[in-house]
Amino acid sequence: MVLKAVTAATRQRVDNAAARLLPIVTTLIAVIISIQPAPIPGYAAVAPAFTLMAVYHWTIYRPRLLPPLSVFLIGVTQDLLTGTPPGVNALVMLLARAIVLRLRRHFVDRPFPFVWTGFTMLSGGAMLFLWALYCLLDRALIDFRSTIFRAVLTISLFPAASFLLGRTQRSLMSTG
Amino acid sequence: MIRLSSLRRTSLQRVTFPLLVLLSVTMILLGKADQVMLESLRIAVADAAAPVLEILSRPLSALADLATRARRLVSVYQDNDRLAEENERLIGWQHAALKLASENSQLRELLKLTPEPAATYLTARVVANSGGAYVRSVMVYAGSENGVARGQAAVTGDGLVGRVSEVGSRAARVLLVTDLNSRVPVIVEGSQQRALLAGDNSERPYLRYLDTGAAIRIGDRIVTSGQGGVFPPGLPVGVVASLDGGAPRVEPYVELSRVGYLRIVDYGLADALPKPVPIVPRGGRRGERSADGQQSRR
Repeated sequence: MVLKAVTAATRQRVDNAAARLLPIVTTLIAVIISIQPAPIPGYAAVAPAFTLMAVYHWTIYRPRLLPPLSVFLIGVTQDLLTGTPPGVNALVMLLARAIVLRLRRHFVDRPFPFVWTGFTMLSGGAMLFLWALYCLLDRALIDFRSTIFRAVLTISLFPAASFLLGRTQRSLMSTG
Repeated sequence: MIRLSSLRRTSLQRVTFPLLVLLSVTMILLGKADQVMLESLRIAVADAAAPVLEILSRPLSALADLATRARRLVSVYQDNDRLAEENERLIGWQHAALKLASENSQLRELLKLTPEPAATYLTARVVANSGGAYVRSVMVYAGSENGVARGQAAVTGDGLVGRVSEVGSRAARVLLVTDLNSRVPVIVEGSQQRALLAGDNSERPYLRYLDTGAAIRIGDRIVTSGQGGVFPPGLPVGVVASLDGGAPRVEPYVELSRVGYLRIVDYGLADALPKPVPIVPRGGRRGERSADGQQSRR
């Protein structure tokens, strides 16, 4: 009986720890998915920004569990893995988090179209910012087309990502 | 764990955000200035992550293989007919090639030509792409432990993919010919025009430093010239796809974004590249370094 109570308590503690790590873990998974080589022509250039989706989702629903430091570290990891100048993704995601955090109350407990509209504006802004940043870094006017494709792909895949993240969140984080 | 009061936590968060933003910006600027430090950092992360990425990329590639198989199943009869016909034609070519090869070796013998060093191959799996429009490179799961070295050519059966730009013990990064930083000395086959194949992050790199009077036609084959000593001469690169004014665009033979396996080729030329990336004052554009690692003419 006592043993049962102890195991239950331990299990709950483990569950809680898992739930608290969920935002960081899912964002890291998003990093890995977004650098996967897919056998689709031209995919690498327009690979959707899955990491941005995860950062957006968790900043709205559990901002405390995805603090700026972890956003920064995840961003730097992605930069180092993809060969982009380190700091670029970190900067974009930090800024995205800060902006979403400020506007958070417009999205929490709102129907999905609101959340999606918010993400559309965020990813549009993020892609534009990235493009401008690379133009500055490379001192060249970079072709804008793949940026547009990437933004469109990212925005259209957001509902699926949001659904998956929401499901995981609900199943692992029963209590708010 | 120390429990912070909510007030202290908020004030701490207020400081961390600008600090981290500042750190990001500093890293971007530092990374642009000091390539050597950046490279070793990137290699360390790649070495650590490559085994994990290799395992994680397996299901996706298995799925892709399955799709390819299903597609092939549909066209198996037509393919068979086509291949049988092609085989017949190729046997003719084989006879011709064997005859030419023996003739060639006899002539070389007569001229006392020093034989070219034999190339050694190594097949490596692509475990990560660059995910984005601004860098064109892939990470492969093979490193110095397997004999990969900076400057080696990465090819597939179809042609040139790029060159090894960074090497760790287990992983390496291959800079694709489409990257903004890629410069490959090439020859336009037929006219023997020399040029530099320069990437600009689009799907089709373009030819630079072509003679103004050069007669280039769409469909001309582009192969490496071997100048600069990084690539051996004669590696197929692509075909001229559009003339685009003075800068013809080249469609690479290899579908670069779909490459799942690469062959890293050691032609014994790897020493042609200077070992660490030289720190050059960034006077010009980021893309001004030529394939042999030297500052190119403007």
